[in-house]
Amino acid sequence: MSDQQQLVTIEIDGIPLQAERGAPLIDVADAAGITIPRFCYHKKLSVAANCRMCLVEVERVPKPLPACSTPVNDGMRVHTRSPMVLAAQKAVMEFLLINHPLDCPICDQGGECELQDVSMAFGGDVSRFRERKRVVRNKNLGPLVATDMTRCIHCTRCVRFGEEIAGERELGLIGRGENAEIGTFIEKTLTSELSGNIIDLCPVGALTSKPFRYLARTWEIQQFPGVAPHDAVGSNIYIHVKGDRVMRVVPRENEAVNEVWISDRDRFSYQGLYSEDRLQAPMIKQEGRWQSVDWETALIAAAAGLQHVVQNDGPDAIGALASPSATLEEFYLLQKVARGLGCHNVDHRLLAQDFRDQAHAPLFPWLGQSLAELGKADVILLVGSNCRKEQPLINHRIRQAVRRGARIFVLNPIDYPFNYPLTKRLIANPKEMITHLAGIAKALNPKDPSAEAIGIPPNASPKEVEREIAEALRTGARCVILLGDIATAHPQAAHLRTLSAYIADHSESTLGTLTMGTNGAGAWIAGALPHRKAAGQNLETPGLDADTMIAQGRKGYVLLGVEPEIDCANSHLAAEAMINAEFVVSLTAYRTRPMEDYADILLPIALFAENTGTFVNAAGSWQSFASAVTPPGETRPAWKILRVLANLLDLNGFDYMDATQIRDELQVLVQNADSPEKKDRWRPEKLGEKVAEKTNDKQQLTRIGDMPIHAVDPLVRRAASLQKTPDAGEGVIRINSKLAGLLGIWEGESASAVQDGIEKTLPVVIDERVPDQCAWLPAGIPSSMGLGLRFGSIEISR
Amino acid sequence: MPEIHNFTLNFGPQHPAAHGVLRLVLELDGEVIVRADPHIGLLHRATEKLAENKPYNQSIGYMDRLDYVSMMCNEHAYVSAIERLLGIEVPIRAQYIRVMFDEITRILNHLMWIGAHALDIGAMSMFLYAFREREDLMDVYEAVSGTRMHATYYRPGGVYRDLPDSMPQYDASRWRKGAKLKQLNRAREGTLLDFVEDFTARFPGCVDEYETLLTDNRIWKQRTVDIGIVTPERALQLGFSGPMLRGSGIAWDLRKKQPYAVYDKMDFDIPVGATGDSYDRYLVRIEEFRQSNRIIKQCIDWLRANPGPVILENNKIASPKRQQMKGEMEGLIHHFKLATEGYCIPEGEVYAAVEAPKGEFGIYMISDGANKPYRLKIRAPGFAHLAAMDEMVRGHMLADVVAIIGTQDIVFGEVDR
Amino acid sequence: MYYRIRHYVKSFSLWELLKGLNLTGHYLFAEKFTVRYPEEKAPQSPRFRGQHALRRYPDGEERCIACKLCEAVCPALAITIESGVREDGSRRTTRYDIDLVKCIFCGFCQEACPVDAIVESPIYEYFGNQRDDLLMTKERLLAVGETWQKKIDGNLAQDSKYR
Repeated sequence: MSDQQQLVTIEIDGIPLQAERGAPLIDVADAAGITIPRFCYHKKLSVAANCRMCLVEVERVPKPLPACSTPVNDGMRVHTRSPMVLAAQKAVMEFLLINHPLDCPICDQGGECELQDVSMAFGGDVSRFRERKRVVRNKNLGPLVATDMTRCIHCTRCVRFGEEIAGERELGLIGRGENAEIGTFIEKTLTSELSGNIIDLCPVGALTSKPFRYLARTWEIQQFPGVAPHDAVGSNIYIHVKGDRVMRVVPRENEAVNEVWISDRDRFSYQGLYSEDRLQAPMIKQEGRWQSVDWETALIAAAAGLQHVVQNDGPDAIGALASPSATLEEFYLLQKVARGLGCHNVDHRLLAQDFRDQAHAPLFPWLGQSLAELGKADVILLVGSNCRKEQPLINHRIRQAVRRGARIFVLNPIDYPFNYPLTKRLIANPKEMITHLAGIAKALNPKDPSAEAIGIPPNASPKEVEREIAEALRTGARCVILLGDIATAHPQAAHLRTLSAYIADHSESTLGTLTMGTNGAGAWIAGALPHRKAAGQNLETPGLDADTMIAQGRKGYVLLGVEPEIDCANSHLAAEAMINAEFVVSLTAYRTRPMEDYADILLPIALFAENTGTFVNAAGSWQSFASAVTPPGETRPAWKILRVLANLLDLNGFDYMDATQIRDELQVLVQNADSPEKKDRWRPEKLGEKVAEKTNDKQQLTRIGDMPIHAVDPLVRRAASLQKTPDAGEGVIRINSKLAGLLGIWEGESASAVQDGIEKTLPVVIDERVPDQCAWLPAGIPSSMGLGLRFGSIEISR
Repeated sequence: MPEIHNFTLNFGPQHPAAHGVLRLVLELDGEVIVRADPHIGLLHRATEKLAENKPYNQSIGYMDRLDYVSMMCNEHAYVSAIERLLGIEVPIRAQYIRVMFDEITRILNHLMWIGAHALDIGAMSMFLYAFREREDLMDVYEAVSGTRMHATYYRPGGVYRDLPDSMPQYDASRWRKGAKLKQLNRAREGTLLDFVEDFTARFPGCVDEYETLLTDNRIWKQRTVDIGIVTPERALQLGFSGPMLRGSGIAWDLRKKQPYAVYDKMDFDIPVGATGDSYDRYLVRIEEFRQSNRIIKQCIDWLRANPGPVILENNKIASPKRQQMKGEMEGLIHHFKLATEGYCIPEGEVYAAVEAPKGEFGIYMISDGANKPYRLKIRAPGFAHLAAMDEMVRGHMLADVVAIIGTQDIVFGEVDR
Repeated sequence: MYYRIRHYVKSFSLWELLKGLNLTGHYLFAEKFTVRYPEEKAPQSPRFRGQHALRRYPDGEERCIACKLCEAVCPALAITIESGVREDGSRRTTRYDIDLVKCIFCGFCQEACPVDAIVESPIYEYFGNQRDDLLMTKERLLAVGETWQKKIDGNLAQDSKYR
């Protein structure tokens, strides 16, 4: 150890530098601001040293050495601009350009091309090559990445990215010499959820963005910093804008959050901004017909409608539902407006069903650690999470831990594919997940008298796998238990949390929750909850939670960025509750058919690049962003709409001039609040009984209705290119062969799925990853819309 | 006795003798000027600021539009500033071409000046004579650059294209065909250089014509002799340059004192005046016609004998030839990057000046290492001359203001820039 | 005495007027020195930079590939291009506007074009009654290119050896 960390003194271009022994020379030069050209080297990837562009001269070495694969050593004297180096760079550049096609004018990389830049700065200016150039056949890599393989210079960054970061060897270098080419071995679409990063990695125009193809040049683009609106990481991004239109999204480096990567969902979801059903102006339904009106009319009507409901049926008749991806400011104002009216029925936990432990929750559920710490864990137990597709960058951190030697255990209802080896997996019917967790808990501490109080049966006998997991958690140095989206949406989620907390307590593990949406943590802080005000103050008489609001029905609804028929736990009930309501005002970016049926007023709201606000990520960091483009038409940011609505409702304390004032007010509240510990976690609690779902005899099966990666919010559902990927979610019923045998259904046949009396006929796929007595039918996609509970009972028949 | 007030008169900016957009606020005691206050800025286009926001090459076209009667001289100052910062050597043929066109430009400018000046103070036909010769030189401009005025022909590292080896000719028409047409196209049968040579052969005769009309013309003399006298000392103190300075008897010419391009290889004389009045400045400019003609002739002889490259053969700064651009990867990349981003100039600052027809035209440029100037300052000779307007017209009659504006050879493109 | 008589005779016979009229009359009937525009036109260089035109290939395919070099190099920001993928997958403009009111006719667009698509044609006789008339759209630019194709091609060929 001490040898490696020893500092040595080297000299680059006559500048004496201190560096760690063994560090790559190119890193040392970069840190000192000395430019060395490179194509294949990337600081986040392994060293390949195959482009030969970074050749430098080291004294007493007869030949030039590649700086990326040369470790520094004491007393090294390096020259980066000596005649030998210049000649070498010129020669390498000449070779690289030999087979490069004359594509600059039609190449999207033109202007931001490393090959162009390096050629200008280090290459020769006249070609001596007179022979024919080689041509490489193009590859079809799917709807996100466009290829022009003739332009490839074989730096193999994309290949190494696949192996080292994405965890899928999707691309490879095939052939040798003149015949070498990058490709998929068999033509197929990239399936990695991080595949878009190869666009940024490619130093030339061989891999470019397909949705962005030919649309703009770099010099026309303005760059605005932003925060990605789709997962609990809040990846830092740059929004590239031409005119007043978002042209593309690229990662913004932030070592603490997303390093240099972003997921495809964050990269391509901007397409949803320009969806055809985007609402352009406020609309009012008058005698069943929709009319565009001005803001004043719409907001007065909305205020009057809400006041009408309050006067007739009391403030409790109103329910406010917010998307978990709204901004902190929007949550805060929404709950402030609702509470101003005397109504506490505010919630953002649209997918959750079990709220028994909400009073004991920490200030906000969070990861329990920083993202970097997660990457250094030794043992990770994932409970109910398809982490790879739910939270691609958290999964990337877990993968980092695996590469350091961490052991990963999962407890999932589906045997989801992970891009790292799992030590052990527990695949169980959702109902049995509790039993498994209880088993682990029991194995940890078999003789705990208090265990029964939190729902561990005294006679439970842990299975072998459960014991092994318990053992790993007990002996591991840095253990983490992560509760994923499926755990949060589970009908017995509180029980899962309690058991996980118990296990964490008894194994000294960190308990983390992958927060809902983009800003699930922010919603808790801002008080978009029925039982807590802003900054976590518990209310004596809590309002109704999201599930109850839907189940019992309210007279009036305020929706903030929600499409209840898709975003709520029970699609069927949510739609019904909306239709039965007297008055629904929807703050929405899109005008949908179901919304036209049930809503009375549609108020167009700004989406991520158009909005100003703050997201709190799963690690608890507040990330503010400003708008990059103006919202289309009459659209306004939701915080402005809520502010004016509050004024029209004669509520006090809404004199905000900009979004930062709202954030600052909340920040002061949080600092002064006498609230649960700011960064605590769930604790094992004794839970009340939960009313069981009504089932009949036929409904013996359990539906596993997870959300596909590209269906999680209204924006991404409208990103055309993402919807063309295999990750968009298929409208098929997946059952295992055992169940298929029992039901007498063959692969490819259609079967009817019945939930809450709603029937959908969908093709059946036999999939052995599905546990017994379960049917895997994803939520959030058109074909499953209108069915009941995502993890409820379902009836499948031919 | 009633109190007598001075009369204040707005001269311009719409006065035909105000040379563009000069607004002179004149305070008159009867018909005698007590004070003249030039107001400028009506033609301000923020050229300096524009240039600071564009890659270096993109501002060449704006230089033409500064002093828009001596286009290529302005370009020359700008490109030589860039060349000096880059430390590049311009091919010798390009330097000869530049000198030839600088002198053609000087003749163009002086023709414009003499026409307008004479027109202002009553000699109508002079204008027509001047424009007859200007037409030929405009054709030369067009043949070489494609436009008759705003050439955009000089480039850092040389000039854009070599001189064409043919001149465009008149087409046959109802009125001119056969021998008549042949006569009309006589000078256009050879190369551009033949055409210019033909002009240089004709031109001294033309200058004689102008002199017949003006030099001994008693009206002309009445209007210019002893009008706007500037002593040599004052001329220096006022920052005069060019014919304004030489008219006062100071033999200062950048072409001799700080030779640039190939002026050190040229054989020519610097005329100077004796009294520093408008008539002397007229005589100086007339002599410059003849001297410029001499220089052009020398350039023609050299250019005929010495073909060669006209622009730097370094694609990092000068765009590659089209054939290279279309056929080679290196050429295409360099073309692409030069068109979109231009080239970067090492940090530094430079002042590059040329002897423009009106005086010392200079470009002061600071580079911070980027692909556009950090700061660009244009030193326009007309600005200093106009600043002396008050001193020159004070005590003269109202009508002499026109003569003095004329003798100053003011062009507002460069004053207001 | 002789001079006085002569002076009187000259004065009364309007001799100087007639002398002047004689000179004027001489030029009235003499061959004209000026070019009789528009029937006659002054010679024009093949390098002339007039109104813009977009060219096509001989097979009718438009040359422009929406590389936007002209847009980038334009000092006056007179060119506006929007590009996209055409049905056949090639890169083409969906909009190509030149605002002749902004244009300074420097010729950089023509120099920058890698496929000789945008050229400055020999046309100098154009006008607009309103600003709109001087906004050259892609259709109008292509139309100019078609009408003047021969002349433009000839000029380019003549000048190609110098560029």
